[in-house]
Amino acid sequence: MTSKKQRPVFFNLARIQMPVGALTSITHRVTGIFLALGVPFSIYLLDLSLQGPQSYARVIGLFDNAVFRSAVIIFVWVLAHHVLAGIRHLLSDIDIGSQLRPSRRSAWVVNIGGIAVALLALGVLL
Amino acid sequence: MTAAFTGLRAWLVQRMSAVYMLFFIAYFLVHFAVDPPHSYPVWRTWMTSFSVSIATAAFFAALLAHAWVGLRDVILDYIHPMVFRVCLLVLLGFALTAVGAWIVRILWMSHG
Amino acid sequence: MATMHFSIFRYNPERDEKPYMQDFHIDLVPTDRMLLDVILRIRDSQDDSLTIRKSCHEGVCGSDAININGRNGLACVTRVRELKEPVVLRPLPSFPVIRDMVVDMTSFWKQYHSIKPYLVNEEPAPEKERLQSPEDRDKLDGSYECIMCGCCTSQCPSSWWNPEKFVGPAGLIQAYRFISDSRDRATQERLDDLNSDPYRLFRCRTIMNCTEVCPVGLSPSRAIERIRLRMLDIEGHRGGLTLHRVPTIR
Repeated sequence: MTSKKQRPVFFNLARIQMPVGALTSITHRVTGIFLALGVPFSIYLLDLSLQGPQSYARVIGLFDNAVFRSAVIIFVWVLAHHVLAGIRHLLSDIDIGSQLRPSRRSAWVVNIGGIAVALLALGVLL
Repeated sequence: MTAAFTGLRAWLVQRMSAVYMLFFIAYFLVHFAVDPPHSYPVWRTWMTSFSVSIATAAFFAALLAHAWVGLRDVILDYIHPMVFRVCLLVLLGFALTAVGAWIVRILWMSHG
Repeated sequence: MATMHFSIFRYNPERDEKPYMQDFHIDLVPTDRMLLDVILRIRDSQDDSLTIRKSCHEGVCGSDAININGRNGLACVTRVRELKEPVVLRPLPSFPVIRDMVVDMTSFWKQYHSIKPYLVNEEPAPEKERLQSPEDRDKLDGSYECIMCGCCTSQCPSSWWNPEKFVGPAGLIQAYRFISDSRDRATQERLDDLNSDPYRLFRCRTIMNCTEVCPVGLSPSRAIERIRLRMLDIEGHRGGLTLHRVPTIR
C-alpha cells in the first residue's frame, strides 16, 4: 500500500496567465516598495537644501550629474506608475471603472501613462 | 498589534493619506512649473512659510502612515511564521518612527 | 478533419513520482464543440486513465474547472476550436492535486463555510415564506449565481499567499450575497467577522484576476469593494451587480 505522500501542486507562475490588471497591480506594489526605500535619501536631499546656501547649491549641482539625472528619471517613472495605479484604485473603490472591460482599459492607461510621464521627464532633464 | 489596526481602519488610512498626498504633489508640481524657486532664500522662505510648512508636515505624516499600511500589507502577505512577521513589523515601526523624528528635526531646524 | 494537439497534466499518486505533461493528438468530429467533449473522447479512445471532474456539461455545476492555456475556466463551456495549440490543460493552480486534473478543494470549502453561507434569522417563521420585495431580490443579482467552481480563488494571488486566512473571492462574493439579503438578520455580525483581522477580507488588493476568469461573468472584486463600503455604512448602489460577457479563452 502506498504511504501517504505530499500532493503536488500546479503553481508555475510562468505558465499562469497574468492579465493586464495583475501586471499593473504587482508593479504598483514593487514601485511602492522602491518609493519607501527612496524616502530616506529624498529626505536627506530636502535636509541639505534647507540647511544653507552652500548645501542648497550642492543639491542643485547634483542635477549636472548624468547618473543622478538617470536615477531621477527612473524615480519619476516609479512615482508616476504608483500614483496613477493608486488613482485607478481610488476610483475603483467608488465604483468608477470597476467592471471588467473598463478596468482592463484603465490598467493599460496606467501602464502606458507611467512610461509617458517618465519620457516627459527624460525630455525635460536631458 | 496587527489586530488592533483592523483591516478597515488601515485601508481607510491608506486611502485618505493617498488622497491628501495626491493634492499636495499636484500643488507642488504646479507651483514648481509656474513659479520655481530659483535661489536658496526664495526656497527657504517658501518652505518655511506658515501654510507650506503645515502642509508639508501633514504630507510627511500622511507619507509615513501610507508607507506603514503598504509595507505592512507586504509583510502580512509574504511572511508566514508569526515570529518573523512580528519582528519585521516592529522593525518597520521603528524605521518609520526614526524617519518621522528626522523630518520633525529638519522642519524644526529650518525655521531657526 | 482538423487534428488538435493537447498537452495534458498527468499525475497518478499510485504510479508517478511527480507530475508530467502528456501529449495527445485527436481528430475533431463535428460534435466536438466544447473542450470537455474532446477531453472525454481522448479518455474514451486513447487513455481511459485520464481523470477530470465533470457533471452537468453545461456550465452550472462548476465541477470541470481547470487551467486552460494558463487561464482558469470551465471545460464544458470553453469552445475547443478557438483554443491556441498545443492546448495546455492543467489542474487549478495552488490546490493540491489528487489525480490528473482533479484537485483537493478542502481549503476552498472551509473558507466558504466560514462566512456562514445560510440565512440567519431567529424571528419566528411566517406562515409561508419570508417575503422579499422585487427590489430587494434584485440586490442578490450578480452574487447568487456563483457556482463555486473555484476558478476565481485559484487565480487570486492573495489566496495563493494566504489560503488559510484570506477568505478568497468565492467566499467573499457569497458573503456579499448574504450581506445583501434583506431577510438576513446577521448583517452586522457578518461585516464584523470580515473585519475581525487584517486577513479575512483585507488581503484583497483588487488585483481583479477573479473577475477576469469567472466563467459565469461575476465580479467578486466589485462585491468586495461593496462590502468595504458597507462596513463604512455606505450603501450607494440601488440594485445588484451586473454580469459581464465572459472573455473567450484562447
